[in-house]
Amino acid sequence: MSVSKSATLEPRQIKRRSEFLSSPVFSPLVTQVIIWIIFWIFVPNFGSVRTVSGIVGAASINAVIVIGVTMLMISGEFDISVGAILGMSAFVFADILVNGGSPVLAIVVTLLVAGSMGAINGLLTAYTAIPSFIVTLGTRSIYRGLIWVVSGGTMIQVTDRLPIQDILNGRLDIVNNLFTQANFTTAAVWAIALGIIFQLILTRTKFGNHVFAVGGNPGAALSQGVNNKRVKITCFIITGLLCGLAGMLTFSQFSTAQVVTGANVELKVIAAAVIGGTLLTGGFGSIVGGLLGILLIALLRTGTILLGLPSDNFEAIVGVTIVGAALLNDWIRDRLI
Amino acid sequence: MPQVTGNATPLVKMENIVMKFGRVVALDNVDFDVRPQEIMALMGDNGAGKSTLIKILTGIYAPTSGQIRFEGEVVQISNPRRARALGIETVYQDLALVNLMSIGRNFFLGREPICQVGPLPCLNMSCIDRDTRRSLADIGIAVRSANDKVGTLSGGERQSIAIGRAVHFGMKLLILDEPTSALSVAESRKVLEYTLNAKERGMSVIFITHNIHHVTQVADRYTVIRHGKNVGTYDRDQVSADDISDLITGERES
Repeated sequence: MSVSKSATLEPRQIKRRSEFLSSPVFSPLVTQVIIWIIFWIFVPNFGSVRTVSGIVGAASINAVIVIGVTMLMISGEFDISVGAILGMSAFVFADILVNGGSPVLAIVVTLLVAGSMGAINGLLTAYTAIPSFIVTLGTRSIYRGLIWVVSGGTMIQVTDRLPIQDILNGRLDIVNNLFTQANFTTAAVWAIALGIIFQLILTRTKFGNHVFAVGGNPGAALSQGVNNKRVKITCFIITGLLCGLAGMLTFSQFSTAQVVTGANVELKVIAAAVIGGTLLTGGFGSIVGGLLGILLIALLRTGTILLGLPSDNFEAIVGVTIVGAALLNDWIRDRLI
Repeated sequence: MPQVTGNATPLVKMENIVMKFGRVVALDNVDFDVRPQEIMALMGDNGAGKSTLIKILTGIYAPTSGQIRFEGEVVQISNPRRARALGIETVYQDLALVNLMSIGRNFFLGREPICQVGPLPCLNMSCIDRDTRRSLADIGIAVRSANDKVGTLSGGERQSIAIGRAVHFGMKLLILDEPTSALSVAESRKVLEYTLNAKERGMSVIFITHNIHHVTQVADRYTVIRHGKNVGTYDRDQVSADDISDLITGERES
C-alpha cells in the first residue's frame, strides 16, 4: 500500500484572522468611517446632532427595503420592482385610512398586498427559467401600471396627521429630548430593529444558512437536501413585506401617496447592498453592511448639499462611491479570506 | 486489509439495466453490483455510459428497464432525495461544498443542529464547531477551526471534507465522481487515503475515474463499461493496470 496512514489537513493559505476582520461588515465599516471623517473635516458643524439625525432620517425608509434586498441578493436573486411595491403599498395604506378604515386594517391589507407582490416575483423566478432580474424588470412596470389603475392617477393627501403616522414615522421624542435640535424619527427604530432581527435570522438560523448556500452554490445546496425554490420564494416574500412597511413609512412621513411614489428606489438599495459588502453573484454579504451602505448614500447626499456643491453632483459622487466601495470590498476580502 | 467475501449480499445490485434516450441506447443490459465495505472502481472512456449508470443509481434518471436492489430489497429510486434517504451520497468535484461558507456550516448544511433561543430556532454553533472537528478528526483530517471558509482549502482538502461529511451522517454508499482528476499528486494521495478510511468505517465507495494508477491503489474490484455494456468485473488480483486500459479502449474484449 503506497498511501500513508495519517494525513493531516494543513491548509497552507489560511491565516488565523479574527472572525470580525473576515466578516462582510468590516470593509463597509471602514469606508463609512473614512467618509464621515472626510466630511467632518470639511463641513463646519457636521457632527452636530441635527445633521446626524437628519442623515439617519433620510436613510431610514430605504433601509427597511435594503434589508430585504440584501437577503435576496445573498440568495442569488434580484428584485428591482421594490419601488413599485413601495408605491402600491403607500397608496393602499393611504386609501384605507382616508376612507375611514382602522389603522390595523390598513396595515394588514397593505402587508397582504405587498407580500403577494413579492410572492408573485418569487414564484415567477422559481418556476420559470427567467432570471429574477428580468422577472422583476417586468413586474416593476406591471406593478407601477397597477398603481395607475387603482388610483386612477389621483394623489392622496392628508392634511391632519393621523396617530398611526406618528407611530410609524413620527418624532422620536424619547431620544430627541435628550439632545438639542435632534430630529430622530421612529422610522429609524423600525429600520434598526428589523435590521438586527434579520441579521440574526441570516447568521444564526437554519434558514439563514440555507440562504447563503443557495446563493453560494445552488448545486451543492440541492445535493444536501436544501429546497432552493422555497428559500428563494421566502426571500422574495420577505422583501415584499418590507417594501410594504416602507410604503407605510413613506406615507406616514409625507402624508402623500401618488403614482410615482417610490420610483427609482431600486437602484439606490442595490447600490447600498453592494457598498455594504454583498456580492452581486450571491453567497456573501450582510444586512448590517447594507444598512451602512444606505446610511453612506444618505451621508453623501447631505454632505454634498452642505458642502455647497450643486446637487447634481450627488449622483456622480454616489456612482464613484459605489465603484470605489465595491473595489475596496473586493480588495479587503481577497486579503482576509 | 480485510475483505468481505464474495457470498455476502451485495449492498447494491443493478440488474439488466437498459437506458434508451429516444433511439440511442446508452446502457445495454448492464449488471453492476457493489458489496458492503468495498471500493469499486467504475471505469470507462468518455461516453461509455458510466455517468448514465450512476445517474440512474442516484435517482436522476429512471431506467428504461431493469431493477435495482439495495441491501437485498428492490427499490425505486425516483429522485435524488430518495437516493440520499437510502444512504447513497454523491460527491461531484464542484457541487459538494459552498466555497464562501465555513467548513462547519457546509458540514451540517441541510441537517443543521438547532437549539431553541426563545421563539427562534437557532443554529447551535458550538455544536457545529465541535462535531465538525471531531468527525473529521475521526477519519484522519485535522482542522484548526470549523469557521475557516472552504474556499481557502485546496481541492483535496475539500474532497476530504465532503467524504468526512458522508461518513459522519452514516451514508452507506459513497459515489466519488473523478475525485482526483484536478488534484496534484500529494493531494490525490490524501484523497485516496480518506477513501480507504471511509471504507474502514463501514462505507462502500464507487470510484469513478479515468486515472488507473490512482484507483489501483485502493480499489477492491473494477468494473469496465464500454459502449453501454459491462465489459467485465474483476477482482484487484485478476487484472493489471494495462489490462484495464485495454479493456476500456477495446483492445481487449475480456
